[in-house]
Amino acid sequence: MSLPIGEQLQRLSAKLRAEIGPAVTDEYTRTQTFMASVILERLSKQVMLASDHLMVEQQEVAMLHEQLAGILVDVPDVVAHARVAAEATLEVAALGTLIRELYAWGSGEKLVEDALSLIRPVLRADIDRRMEIAQ
Amino acid sequence: MSAASEIEAMMANYLRERLEIDGTVTIEDVTRIAVGWSHETWLFDAVWSSAEGEQRRGMCLRRDPGNALLRQTSDLGEQFRVLRCLESTDVPAPKAFWYEADPAVLGAPALVMEKVNGECPSPWRKTGREYYSAAAERGVLPLSFIDALAAIHNVNWRDAGLDFLGVPDTGDSFARSEITKWRGLIDESGHSGHPILDDLTGWLEAHAPSTDRLTLVHGAYRTGNVLISHDQVSAVLDWELQVIGDPMYDVAYMLTELNREGTDLLSNVVPRDLFYKRYQSMTGIEIDDESCRYYQLLYAMRSAAFWMSAAGLYADGSNSDLRLARTEWSVTVALDRAAQELGY
Repeated sequence: MSLPIGEQLQRLSAKLRAEIGPAVTDEYTRTQTFMASVILERLSKQVMLASDHLMVEQQEVAMLHEQLAGILVDVPDVVAHARVAAEATLEVAALGTLIRELYAWGSGEKLVEDALSLIRPVLRADIDRRMEIAQ
Repeated sequence: MSAASEIEAMMANYLRERLEIDGTVTIEDVTRIAVGWSHETWLFDAVWSSAEGEQRRGMCLRRDPGNALLRQTSDLGEQFRVLRCLESTDVPAPKAFWYEADPAVLGAPALVMEKVNGECPSPWRKTGREYYSAAAERGVLPLSFIDALAAIHNVNWRDAGLDFLGVPDTGDSFARSEITKWRGLIDESGHSGHPILDDLTGWLEAHAPSTDRLTLVHGAYRTGNVLISHDQVSAVLDWELQVIGDPMYDVAYMLTELNREGTDLLSNVVPRDLFYKRYQSMTGIEIDDESCRYYQLLYAMRSAAFWMSAAGLYADGSNSDLRLARTEWSVTVALDRAAQELGY
């Protein structure tokens, strides 16, 4: 029976932190050992949470695009294309181009502010998920 | 041969030649400064005999390994020129002795400068915070800390020859040039980025403040980047991010919560009211809270750029230090901060 990869990484991390690191006398190498433990712990969380996070991300981005499609109607082609391209991936990362195009089109304009106010909660939720791993 | 022994032998030969000494130069008390992710830093004493008797001079060697954080924005040759320019001013800073661009001379491009007396407790450690808290109680260091910043902003940078740093136009050119600089570092890092950064950059570009007052700006003025001796700032260090620009950029860094922990004291040592009153009185510059708020958002972008650059150094294989690998998650923390600064 093999361990799930996330759990394997977690065990490696714990071993480095509790047993191997403290036995290393050279300061630089000891620091590197503890860093390795931290990195493995975060990778472990990332692996274990990946599928749940992906599912929630896709749901939230799909819902966002339904709302954006309703308000970004009379907009320049580049903005419309950026929104359609972002919708095609259902990834938060793809919203970057749309945000850049919104700012380029008309920073401070009501429609742009309305669009950003819909996008920002989705970005907040995404960074919250990432923070689960980073902390 | 250990790294310290190599430094001893190399510097003994180098200084004998540079100082035109016939006899022997002995290098003593070689210590590598472990903190910092940019340049490699060594402290030592050089000892030699002359007609006047034994001579001892404390020195600091900084070398550029070529794969360090901020290598794009922090050139030792520029640091050397800045330190030389500051010698004619009231800014407490180490004297710069020599700069060697040729890596064949000291193993890498290197700067040799004065070792200034003083200590530099880390504000990120409990012992450091206790040190600054006690100094704040005594009341002398807060004044000296403000005065050193005021001295930087009072430098007549044209007379001092610092215009080689580049002089932005008045208006919003300074803020825009900083955005461009950090955007460049992000692009060069190869990091995939995040839409929060696009939002932040768009906001910064749309709200860039105008300034008609340009001063020398240190760029990272806080405790941990100054040496302290007898409750006085004996030297301002880390001349890696200096520019000619809006003094509010430094003031915002003083005011930010990022540079203090568990205290209302600015940079862990200065009462806020005292800072406003004394800084304005020493410089004649009125603190513009709105500009400071803007620059705090710019620091959020700079922070993300730092960490992306650090993570990129590990990812592209040019630096194997695992502290850099860990900064992949520091990017997330910086983006979280940026979103908070933008109000979400």
